Amino acid sequence: MTLPGLAFRNLRRNLFRVVLTVIGVAVAILAFVSLRTLVWAWTSGGEWAAKDRVVTRHKVTFVMTLPLRYYEEVKQAPHVKLATFANWFGGKDPNHDKEFFSTLAVESKTYFDVYPEMSVPAEQLAKWQENRKGAIVGDVLAKKLGWKLGDRVVIQSGIYAGDWQFDIDGIYTATAKSVDRSTLVFHWKYLNESLPDRAKDQVGWIVSRVDASGHAADTGVAIDKIFDEKDTQTLSQDERSFNTSFLAAFSAILKAIDVISVVILLIMLLILGNTIAMGVRERTNEYGVLRAIGFLPRHIALFILFEAMFLGMLGGALGLAMAYPFVNLGMGRWLEENMGSFFPYFHVEPSIAAMGFALAVILAGAAALLPANQAARLKVVDALRRVA
Amino acid sequence: MVDEVAGSADERSAPSYRAKAEPTGEAMIKLRNIYKTYVRGEESIKVLEDLSLDIPKGSYEALMGPSGSGKSTLLNLIAGLDRPTSGTIEINGRRTEALGESALAKWRADTIGFVFQSYNLLPVLTAVENVELPLLLTKVPSGDRRKRAQTALRVVGLEDRMNHYPRQLSGGQEQRVSIARAIVNDPTIIVADEPTGDLDRQAADDILRLLEKLNTEMKKTILMVTHDPAAAERATIIRRLDKGRLK
Repeated sequence: MTLPGLAFRNLRRNLFRVVLTVIGVAVAILAFVSLRTLVWAWTSGGEWAAKDRVVTRHKVTFVMTLPLRYYEEVKQAPHVKLATFANWFGGKDPNHDKEFFSTLAVESKTYFDVYPEMSVPAEQLAKWQENRKGAIVGDVLAKKLGWKLGDRVVIQSGIYAGDWQFDIDGIYTATAKSVDRSTLVFHWKYLNESLPDRAKDQVGWIVSRVDASGHAADTGVAIDKIFDEKDTQTLSQDERSFNTSFLAAFSAILKAIDVISVVILLIMLLILGNTIAMGVRERTNEYGVLRAIGFLPRHIALFILFEAMFLGMLGGALGLAMAYPFVNLGMGRWLEENMGSFFPYFHVEPSIAAMGFALAVILAGAAALLPANQAARLKVVDALRRVA
Repeated sequence: MVDEVAGSADERSAPSYRAKAEPTGEAMIKLRNIYKTYVRGEESIKVLEDLSLDIPKGSYEALMGPSGSGKSTLLNLIAGLDRPTSGTIEINGRRTEALGESALAKWRADTIGFVFQSYNLLPVLTAVENVELPLLLTKVPSGDRRKRAQTALRVVGLEDRMNHYPRQLSGGQEQRVSIARAIVNDPTIIVADEPTGDLDRQAADDILRLLEKLNTEMKKTILMVTHDPAAAERATIIRRLDKGRLK
């Protein structure tokens, strides 16, 4: 028998209460881990962004387009070794109009070279490049909507009128977590030739790859300088900044989630504090006995802290055991399939799991501080007189 | 035989002597001019008043008196659980009232064995683990701790109940475990606060016989607070307290 062992044994004293508390902590940790994963999955696009990609868009907003000729000029900018462009199409499948997915009209010769993490089998890519009406879709989207290679699908756009027919020529998979596996890409030329003259030759944004990641910022400045004196000015950012500026629009939601996370932790603190305080109160007489036979106030405080931290460990471990299947197989799978543009990869990160577990243990310790201090400060004779 | 107890000073109380054990005559516990006052709000309650007392080594003393007479307070002061408002307590030549908190706790662990009225065993520990508890504070290796705890349980006749939890024991057995816990550190003094208060006559007799055995065979000095005259009869010396003074 050891001192920590004795603290652990004390947990068996009121099993019903301990089980309820552990479940309470576990549910709090489940909620905390789910929310932190939500924030992480939402914001990690910036972290995962390629360091050697520069995104150039209209200076005012990414909703406004750039003239196609800018693409040629960007390609000539220093350190740019490759560039492509894309337009937001805003398409949806009329047979599944509740399903949201990204549809992009892209420069077909270069797009998959600039985004090598979108992996398309060579023969499918070759076939697509030969087919003006061809489309390549993510594997998650294909599975969800039941699309197979060779299928002809009809897409409608909220921006461009009419029914747009596409042949599914390829299905891409992802070699990086950042890739949205629910996107449909097709030839920009197909879009462009279908537009009236006044709307032709416009691109949504240009993406360049530079020869070294250290040149991304300088290259962005250099590109913007090229267009400084022109009618349409640009804003070039490395991909991380671009993603971050997109997320800035949702900063209020992210802050709200942060606040809710803190509230959850506070609730957990109160649950633990209540259980620990009740246990300490019931056992005051025993602490008196321990003090009488020679235990010091610090031993009593440590007993209580150890016991609380064991409680936190049990709750944290159970919370994580619940969070992994809930997030990875339930909530995460649903979000990846249905909101892949925002959450291309929604899984519990080990760092978030570790943080959840550590917080359960630390907060349990914090919740025990006051009762432990009070128990340690009790006079022996007063503690011995106390009847639970 | 009647024992001579050191006590020539006028202020020392005159105890009732019983003819049982044989104290050495040497005063092991010396209390001088002890006052103990509790303050509750604006009210001061004098519990002990100018109490002086010598207790010889190896004696078995019973403290009797009505409720509120101060006997438990006196026991707590001798055991180092509480401190006097004024006065000195010298035990084995050491002034315990002047010790710091940690030193006093260590002194208690080394010198005093406690037996409480309601046994006060930890319900989550088995009998042998309860007895082992005081040894956790020592440097005794864990294997030896267990052996010493088992030996102590053998002394109290509970070798066949070592792995039972308190809820699986009778009141008398629980009190015997508590006595085993009190002697496992081999203390020189055992203080027992109403050790038979919660027991039936038969179990109480067993406990009193055990305390006698500890006094006569293991030479422990025993101080027992009791309301029970039959229990007090078993002690060598009976002291009576009333309104904070020894009679």
